[in-house]
Amino acid sequence: MTNRAGNSKENGKPQAADKVISGPEKRDDTWGIVRRLLGYMIGQENRSRFTIAMLLRAVSLVGLVAIPYLTGEAINVLSDPSGTTAALRYYSILAVISGLLFLVLSILSDRQFADLATKGLYNLQTYLFTHMQTLSLSFFDRQPLGQLMSRVTNDAEAVAQFYENAVAQIIRAVVQVGMVLVVMLLISVPLTVTSLIIAPVMLILTFAVERVSTPAFAKMQEEMGNISGFQEETIAGHKVVISSRRQEWASESNKSFANNVFEVGSKAYFTSLLQFPATNSLIIIQTVSVLFVGGFMVLDGQTTLGTVTAFTAYAALLASPLSDIANLLSTTLAAVAGGRRVFQIIDEQPTIVDAPSAQDFKFQGGQVTFEDVDFSYVPGRKILKHNTFEAQPGQMIGICGPTGAGKSTIINILTRYYDIDSGTILIDGQDISKLTQVSLRKQIGVVLQEAFLFTDTVMNNLLYAREGATEEECIEAARQANAHDFITHLPQGYDTLMTERGANLSQGQRQMITIARAMVANPKILVLDEATSNVDTRTEKLIQEGLQRLMTNKTSFVIAHRLSTIRPAHKILVINGGEVVEQGPHDDLMSQKGFYYTLYMSQFKGKAPGGAEAGKSEFVST
Amino acid sequence: MRAFSRLFVLYRPYRGRLILSQILLLVSASATLGVATLTQRLINEGIQAGSERVIINTSISMIVLALIAGLSLTGTAYYAVFFAQGTAWAIRTRLYDKIQTFSFANFDQFRTGNLLVRLNTDVQYVMVAVMYSVMLLLYAPFMLIVAFILAFINTPGLVWLLFAVAGLVVLLMALIVPRIFKAYGERQQRLDEVNNTMQENLSGIRVVKAFVRESLEKTKFERRADAMRQPAFTAAFLVMLLNPLLQAIGQIARAVSIWVGGESILTGGSLEIGSLIAFTQYMAMVITPLALMAIVVPLILRGETSAKRLFEVYDAEPIVQDPPDGQAAEQEQAKGRLVFENVTFAFRRQDGKLDPPAIKNINLTVEPGERIGFLGATGAGKTALVNLVPRFYDVTEGRITIDGVDVREIPLEDLRKTVGIALQEAVLFQGDMRFNLKFTNPGVDDDVMQEAARSADAYGFIENLPEKWEAPVARRGYNFSGGQRQRLSIARTLTAQPKILILDDSTSALDVATESRVQSSIPEFTNNATTLYVAQRISAVIDLDKIVLLQHGEMVDLGTHEELLERSPLYQEIYESQLGAGITSGLEVGS
Repeated sequence: MTNRAGNSKENGKPQAADKVISGPEKRDDTWGIVRRLLGYMIGQENRSRFTIAMLLRAVSLVGLVAIPYLTGEAINVLSDPSGTTAALRYYSILAVISGLLFLVLSILSDRQFADLATKGLYNLQTYLFTHMQTLSLSFFDRQPLGQLMSRVTNDAEAVAQFYENAVAQIIRAVVQVGMVLVVMLLISVPLTVTSLIIAPVMLILTFAVERVSTPAFAKMQEEMGNISGFQEETIAGHKVVISSRRQEWASESNKSFANNVFEVGSKAYFTSLLQFPATNSLIIIQTVSVLFVGGFMVLDGQTTLGTVTAFTAYAALLASPLSDIANLLSTTLAAVAGGRRVFQIIDEQPTIVDAPSAQDFKFQGGQVTFEDVDFSYVPGRKILKHNTFEAQPGQMIGICGPTGAGKSTIINILTRYYDIDSGTILIDGQDISKLTQVSLRKQIGVVLQEAFLFTDTVMNNLLYAREGATEEECIEAARQANAHDFITHLPQGYDTLMTERGANLSQGQRQMITIARAMVANPKILVLDEATSNVDTRTEKLIQEGLQRLMTNKTSFVIAHRLSTIRPAHKILVINGGEVVEQGPHDDLMSQKGFYYTLYMSQFKGKAPGGAEAGKSEFVST
Repeated sequence: MRAFSRLFVLYRPYRGRLILSQILLLVSASATLGVATLTQRLINEGIQAGSERVIINTSISMIVLALIAGLSLTGTAYYAVFFAQGTAWAIRTRLYDKIQTFSFANFDQFRTGNLLVRLNTDVQYVMVAVMYSVMLLLYAPFMLIVAFILAFINTPGLVWLLFAVAGLVVLLMALIVPRIFKAYGERQQRLDEVNNTMQENLSGIRVVKAFVRESLEKTKFERRADAMRQPAFTAAFLVMLLNPLLQAIGQIARAVSIWVGGESILTGGSLEIGSLIAFTQYMAMVITPLALMAIVVPLILRGETSAKRLFEVYDAEPIVQDPPDGQAAEQEQAKGRLVFENVTFAFRRQDGKLDPPAIKNINLTVEPGERIGFLGATGAGKTALVNLVPRFYDVTEGRITIDGVDVREIPLEDLRKTVGIALQEAVLFQGDMRFNLKFTNPGVDDDVMQEAARSADAYGFIENLPEKWEAPVARRGYNFSGGQRQRLSIARTLTAQPKILILDDSTSALDVATESRVQSSIPEFTNNATTLYVAQRISAVIDLDKIVLLQHGEMVDLGTHEELLERSPLYQEIYESQLGAGITSGLEVGS
């Protein structure tokens, strides 16, 4: 966890360090998590499928296990002086048929398991996603998106590996070991014991390799993360490195990161590769043991050569699933770790829920009242204190203040993304905490500073605003927002695909589309987080025209970073340190010569044209 | 395999080890198969002939062979990892060093994301390919050849069966394995789409909630997740199939050989039971390496593709190069007189052709100590123009001189020491505060660094951090706000004490009052360095000695704020929109 030395979000929004969803890792619930994960794959709806798959598997393994017995009998025919070709053919053909039976039934069974695996993943993915849609914004504000995403994707992939590559294989291995053991015991107890001599060695060895290589791979991943983090940082920041002439430092640092990767990577891969020669040798030793003990038993007349050779084959059928199980265990443990974190998200409850008696919001003009509103993201760190103000229907309310004063927070509580600590927010006399969230949000339009568009066509982005909106309405909205002209000049007009986050349009153009989108939604109350930083003058003018049309006859709150934006507001709320320190129209506030006056004058750096006292520049009269 | 074989240059010093690794592999293959030959002896001369001594002796020899096989294969594994990790190390360091020689235009050609994919994924792919090449590429052929020889000596009548089984395994694997890779590729692609959909949803969660469209999002996601099921099924199914398929082939082949060999024994052929059993063992021992090879070959082919991509970067030439006979400029004596003479600049496209000029015919003289602003809309060429001074790019026509010397004749190291630039995107590096502030000048005293921080208005908040100058900085400086990062970035630039200072829109996240404080304290700290301010906001240039007004790459006007406000319509327009009536001018509001 990086140390949050600076206050990265100005208004003290809770950060990752405050509370992240990964609590301390609990180790005791492993089995519970495995069961829960399996629930998505072989739960109620898939139970019968699973049963069929299991039956097929069991029968197929009977075929497999029969083969060494049959070939052993064939060998006995050979070593028996009275053996006949007919007997040899009989056993051989039966062995081949068993082999084919095993193959065909295995294919059928694997089809079912593969299908169950993908179903399990689908169920988990969609459940997780749907659940996240119900979570309150505080959940998403609590952690950086990148962190959440990389966790969700890595964890889901670990679980997918478990579904796709572990469940069916573990089942097969366990059933195979069980069946082979039974058959071996039925044929010869001493030879069974001999065959099992290597089993503990094999298990211990595989576990030992796992014990060393799993943490070594984790360490390697960490070191790879370090080097790629470093490379990303310095390559993305190449301008700084170049202009600071620190290429040599970059090379040296990279080299030391690469040394670490080499060291831990060598260890991780070498230990994991060790298994290959070790298993190879152990299986040979197992065969030799069976031949050795079996050889003496044959000499003593206790058994036949056919049985001994059958046992060498059984020993092999035992050894490979045993080493598989040990290997698959690490896949399972990775899935448990991933599943545990996925379930932490799934078990997360929305912090904002509709009251049981919640009413739908009834719009009656759009009068908004804040009465003594206190709010904090983190208990004890008040962001808003005693906020009391009122907006009459159709009024424009400007909100200004230094960064970190709590301006943007007003959006969050008015739309009830967060609940307030105390006080009341009334819209048309209705307490918003007693309304349904859906009915409230449908009436409040928000245009955010960051123009977020989906990777979809322009038209679909507009249609997004309201279920049942028509294309005509969208085009009209685009006209109103001054977006129609440039949209029609795009290669495919309204059908142009926005690349990732609208990257093929300028920021100003994206902003105009979001304004059009807000128009399609046609909300009764508007909140605008000033959207015109970083666009050129001409675009800004177009955006402002669009916003004017959007705001006409609606109660609107405009959060301003540039004071000129809100000068014409009916009322300006000046917020400092979470409190409304001044409120009133521009002219009144200017003549008070208080906080607002200072803010306003500072942006002119003493070069305000015209009489500063009136606060109204002659220059601007257009 | 051309790109892949270029890697052999790296191995020249280690040729001995490479050969040793393959000898060990051959030893391991021979020892493994030797066990099967001894099985034959154990059965024929031990069990069937009833000799306890032979049983004991051959058993011991077989265990010795098993150990030899295991140890020599372990040795090969050691070298496989050594070569694989060594190759990855060499590529990581050499390629990165190469990237450090790049200039801005090289980075335009290879985007950051692109370079990172090569440095991560491609290096990893090459590493895996090298590892399996050393470990397994020759193992299966060795096994096969030795098995054929042994079978030919002991059971010549059955050799055709060995051929048939080996052929069948190779054929089936050749059919299945490429399908697995294809299905996995497709699965990965669909999975990326699933993840992208989720990422987009989560980053736009405010929009989703604002328009109450959760159910639409759910449908969208379900469609994506569903599209992943088919390839995921195919991949999972085919992988599951491999195990029973190889087991079935092994078992059936065994049954068939006993049958075929048995017929020959029963009809009085020369074959003995022990030889027959040994033969079944050869066959079993050949199947696994063959199957592994089918999995390894595509990985090696993938490594070749990756190696090709890596060499693409390695073979790129830095575009801006040091002058061959540059004379060390006397940094102490630099005055900082900056002259643009007929400067024209155009970006070069991927295909080598020039874009339309971004900068057209600029003539401008900046006197030592002058503070000059560059104002204009996005795309007017402000940044492109100032980037030419420290030679982030080279002019296409004309020249830029510092104290009369063409910048292209000054050694890059000296030039960039003289010219300090703070960029709009303020990137910090992981480390602590001191490391970041001294990034441009590691040897400087703490006093200078602290003064620089003070000038950049960062001193106050740094002193308020619990660890102050040792405060940890996260990757890219994400634990600081945009405004804090910008101030730190300016401080970092100041620490180098440049003679010419460029602030490329580097105060955009600061409020006007802070910006003003920073601007007014810079001249004192820099001892009146020549300073170039690039800005979107008029408030950032209002106080400066001169303002250059740029439009479409051309200088349309030059003057002080007052002069421009009086005569330039463009300037008036900008001024009006930024400091004028703003959003609702023209909107009827009752008052």
